[in-house]
Amino acid sequence: MGFRHIYFKEDSCTGCNVCVDVCMCDALAPNPEKGKPPIELYPDECWFCGCCMTLCPELEKGAIQIVTPFPMRGAFHSPHPSPLPTGEREGVRG
Amino acid sequence: MINIEVIPIETDILIIGGGLAGCMAAIKAAEDKSLRITLVDKSNTLASGCAASGIDHLWAYIPPIHEKMGYSIEDMAEDHRQGIAFGLFRRDLFHLIAETMYERILDLERFGLQFRYEDSKIPGKFRIVEQFHSVPTSFNFDGKSLKVKLTQEAKRRGVNIINRVQTSDLIVTNGQISGAIGVGTRTGDIYTFKAKSIVLSTGRSNRLSRNPSGFDFNMRLPAPLSGDGTSMAIRAGLPIINIEFLSSRLLSPCGYYNPNYGDPRNTVQPSARIVDGKGNIIVPRTQFFDWENLGKEKIDPVENRRRWLEDRKIWRGGRATLTKRVTQGEGPFYLDFSEATDYEVEYIKWSIKNEGKGTQFMRYFEGEEGLDLRKNSQEYAGWANRELSGTSAKGLWVDKDLETEIRNLLGAGDEVGGLPWAAGPGAIAMGWHAGEMAARRAKEEREFLPVSQDKVKARMEICSNILKCERGFYWKEVEIYIQNLMDFYCGDLRGEGLLKRGLERLEYARNATFKAENPHELSRALEVKSIIDNAELVLRSSIERKESRPAFDFRRFDYPEQDDKNWLVFLSIRKDENGEYKFTKIPVK
Repeated sequence: MGFRHIYFKEDSCTGCNVCVDVCMCDALAPNPEKGKPPIELYPDECWFCGCCMTLCPELEKGAIQIVTPFPMRGAFHSPHPSPLPTGEREGVRG
Repeated sequence: MINIEVIPIETDILIIGGGLAGCMAAIKAAEDKSLRITLVDKSNTLASGCAASGIDHLWAYIPPIHEKMGYSIEDMAEDHRQGIAFGLFRRDLFHLIAETMYERILDLERFGLQFRYEDSKIPGKFRIVEQFHSVPTSFNFDGKSLKVKLTQEAKRRGVNIINRVQTSDLIVTNGQISGAIGVGTRTGDIYTFKAKSIVLSTGRSNRLSRNPSGFDFNMRLPAPLSGDGTSMAIRAGLPIINIEFLSSRLLSPCGYYNPNYGDPRNTVQPSARIVDGKGNIIVPRTQFFDWENLGKEKIDPVENRRRWLEDRKIWRGGRATLTKRVTQGEGPFYLDFSEATDYEVEYIKWSIKNEGKGTQFMRYFEGEEGLDLRKNSQEYAGWANRELSGTSAKGLWVDKDLETEIRNLLGAGDEVGGLPWAAGPGAIAMGWHAGEMAARRAKEEREFLPVSQDKVKARMEICSNILKCERGFYWKEVEIYIQNLMDFYCGDLRGEGLLKRGLERLEYARNATFKAENPHELSRALEVKSIIDNAELVLRSSIERKESRPAFDFRRFDYPEQDDKNWLVFLSIRKDENGEYKFTKIPVK
């Protein structure tokens, strides 16, 4: 698997595909298996607006996580924390 | 092999592009229940266009506030002309927006958006900050759900919303608009629209330059906006203005997440300031307006403007000045909130989260990085993507009622050129007016005009050839070629020789054979065709404008001086019936 930055939590995502519907870049696709999390089909066509997360009915349960790609990070003055992707911080990556 | 279907749609009014302007046009036009309104969007109106993930500030002339200050709409026009438009200013469009925007805010409130806050000391309980003018004129509000609310309102009024269809051609019959052609971005189907009047509102072209983060869609403004409207308009023979003002790259190569904060006078006010590595203040912070004393003493608008313009020189030139300083070894610089009060920090966070990619940025900033706005200053450098920005105000030349030279075709929002930073208010107020005009024009027409099938056949052939092609180029290859070309031959400093070579290389891209394995890739390929059209207009207009105009990031090494005598004009470019480009200088009124 190559680069990806949108992660779905299998046990929170209901496979409703609202994120697929609203993605302005059409970067996601429904999972062929009904009820399963969508597939990030075009990861490099994301505008990082976060609408997939904001409009996710299971937002509170963290069904979707967007991990900011590495080249876009580190714009901050010290003290500088270690760069952990969200998923690792919350234990859902992968 | 995908089987392309042709889907005919007849509608009284067609609105192309369902961003802020398109939604407002649809909502207004739908007041007349006898009309059928169709709104077609390349994405989904719930989250499309520049307001997709929210807007947190909208400027307006606000009579109940500004009259108390002794600040007239003419004062505001003068602020905008001098401080925002640098003289290249469409006064008629300014008045259309400024005069009606307060009413539109009240409409947005009726559609379910929150504009009033208990802790506010401002009459009406609004939150209003200084942004584009010498006194506070920008409403701050909970604009995160703007597009959701507008979509709901449009549906409530019976608007037929068609999502995931990219409009590719306008059809004109005897000088009058008669329809349009679209391509389904998920199906590849061809949509043929028959309409009595059309509003064109597809926004800007946001992928004309490479994104230095390496993530091609990490633009400041929405990446899917590829200038389809400009492309359709130029092919239909309409004039486009200001398109040479593609902004500079400046410090964008440092990459970074693009939160679209703007300057310390923007989304991050009041307490953001720019400091250098040693903590020296380069651009000072602002303060909230003294609302408790509103109206006790009238302002002196002329003196107030003079002071404001002086202040603007420091921070408006911020990006350019900082670039120069960085290249002289003085960087880096930081955006610093360390002296903000608790209330100010909460205010700024609220403001950021309601605007653009701000929510997602704060999720990253606070969530992933575990940072604190007050403790962790942010490098102030990488936010200036190269783009046709709000300052450039490129787009369609329309009359005062937003009508184009093609009968019954109107423009709205960022599609229309001539008023820098019309932006959100431009979309909302122009959209509303265009909707009203489109309804009036549609009612004047008894019958639909016949629609020639030639363009439909041609579009179908283009699409099926791309889908059939096995050995062509993937859309992104051609897009990167165009972006590299624009960044090199049409860079921060431009000259005739390089620009002409750029045009030559662009012709090469025009002949590229695209391949697409599915409708999504087909849609991207069609976007790249729009990007090529937009790039050509930028190159040609850049050759034609024989001066430099630094306020618009326009610099020619062969014409280094600003020449107001000959060039304080809107430069309009169009294609005549023989396919020849023609330029006109339109004087500023």
